Amino acid sequence: MAYVRKNVGRLTAGERKRLVKAFLEIKRRGEYDEFVRMHIDYYTPDGDDGLRTAHMAPSFLPWHRRFLLDLERALRRVDSSVTVPYWDWTRDRTRSSVPWTKDLLGGNGRARDQQVMTGPFAYSAGHWTIKEGITDGQFLARDLGRARDPIELPTSAELNRALDDPTYDAPPWDSTVTRGFRNKLEGWGTGSGSASWHNHNRVHRWVGGAMLGGASVNDPVFWFHHAFIDLQWERWQARHRGQRYLPANPPGLTDPQHERIVARGEKLPPWGVTPQSLEDVSRIYRYA
Amino acid sequence: MVVGVGGVTVGAEPGAGQPDRAGTGRVTRREMTRGLLASAAALALAPLVAASRPVPSTGMPTGTSFDETYRGRRIHGVLVPTEGRAVGGGEWQVTVDGRPLHLMRRADGTWLSMVDHYSSYATPLAAARAAVDEIGPGQRLRDLAPGPMGGGHMHMGGGHGVRA
Repeated sequence: MAYVRKNVGRLTAGERKRLVKAFLEIKRRGEYDEFVRMHIDYYTPDGDDGLRTAHMAPSFLPWHRRFLLDLERALRRVDSSVTVPYWDWTRDRTRSSVPWTKDLLGGNGRARDQQVMTGPFAYSAGHWTIKEGITDGQFLARDLGRARDPIELPTSAELNRALDDPTYDAPPWDSTVTRGFRNKLEGWGTGSGSASWHNHNRVHRWVGGAMLGGASVNDPVFWFHHAFIDLQWERWQARHRGQRYLPANPPGLTDPQHERIVARGEKLPPWGVTPQSLEDVSRIYRYA
Repeated sequence: MVVGVGGVTVGAEPGAGQPDRAGTGRVTRREMTRGLLASAAALALAPLVAASRPVPSTGMPTGTSFDETYRGRRIHGVLVPTEGRAVGGGEWQVTVDGRPLHLMRRADGTWLSMVDHYSSYATPLAAARAAVDEIGPGQRLRDLAPGPMGGGHMHMGGGHGVRA
């Protein structure tokens, strides 16, 4: 029986409490920091050599889908009623809306050092010490909306531009491709500055602090954000019936992308599952 | 540490068939990705393909080093020649207040740092300044200890950079 992932704004007070408790418990056990580390380890950019799996590649979506499932399993081992909610940033767009409430993720970081001071993930609450961070700060940091030079979250119009593209991904299958659903959603644009940050990337930028860096998983909003990204894959499939993950076959020997991306039927590290096997997860969960 | 060469190549495996150069933790990563690399021919070709891939010229800094104080922090960067690389090749080794700032390269030639991972900048210096913009007051970059997924990974540890 498939379980349901809800909009974070529709969780009851009890559901919020149990979700937070499960996060704090896997953090206490040390499991959470393994997720932080794994995401750092699998960030291979397209200008460096090597196989790209998690970012700047077609498997951005299946990689994070499986990553979320692993996290969700860890949470559900603590409390089987818990599922990962999604944050619809096209609707909940302010620094005071969900999920930035005291009983969920807490609010913005303070001006002086971006330290989150409210909610269960504040350092002062004693349950959320950053261990796998980029800086030596032990507290969760946020800079919602980027105080110094404000930016907005992506709009539903921008998200729709990604969803409207009938092609899943296209050569050269990296961060420079300007067509295809995957990179329009992942959000690597051309040019520089604010105009070049789209959808997924732009949300990381908007939250700021931990979410901006390689150790973005340190902020639990990472999962709510990626659940919403994951939901877009379903929406895209529904909008373009018959369209599938691309490439279907690995790039050939002479292709610069040979051995650097994962084709539909190839195994996706570190799990050894194929993107194909992750295209339909309706037996495991559904979005409400 | 050879991590600047082998650490990030989760799948292309230039080190396949050789002794484990980066130390403990690498075996796990290698085993995890082995399934993707079934063909012996592909394994043999991987280093060749990696070495012959053209390096984009967009956004290349004109110099080979920089050293400045930006917003109260000392930024230092130097392009270190790498053996076996073409002329002009090498690794950018960047520090902020003496701590290593790992840079990564995008296919369009722009640069990202570990601090600012979801945007890229035209030069290593611009990426370093953008990182300084985001490092909170009183905080310093930290060397991440080797972890369960891959001790010796190129993001961790000191002094290494990314190939230019």
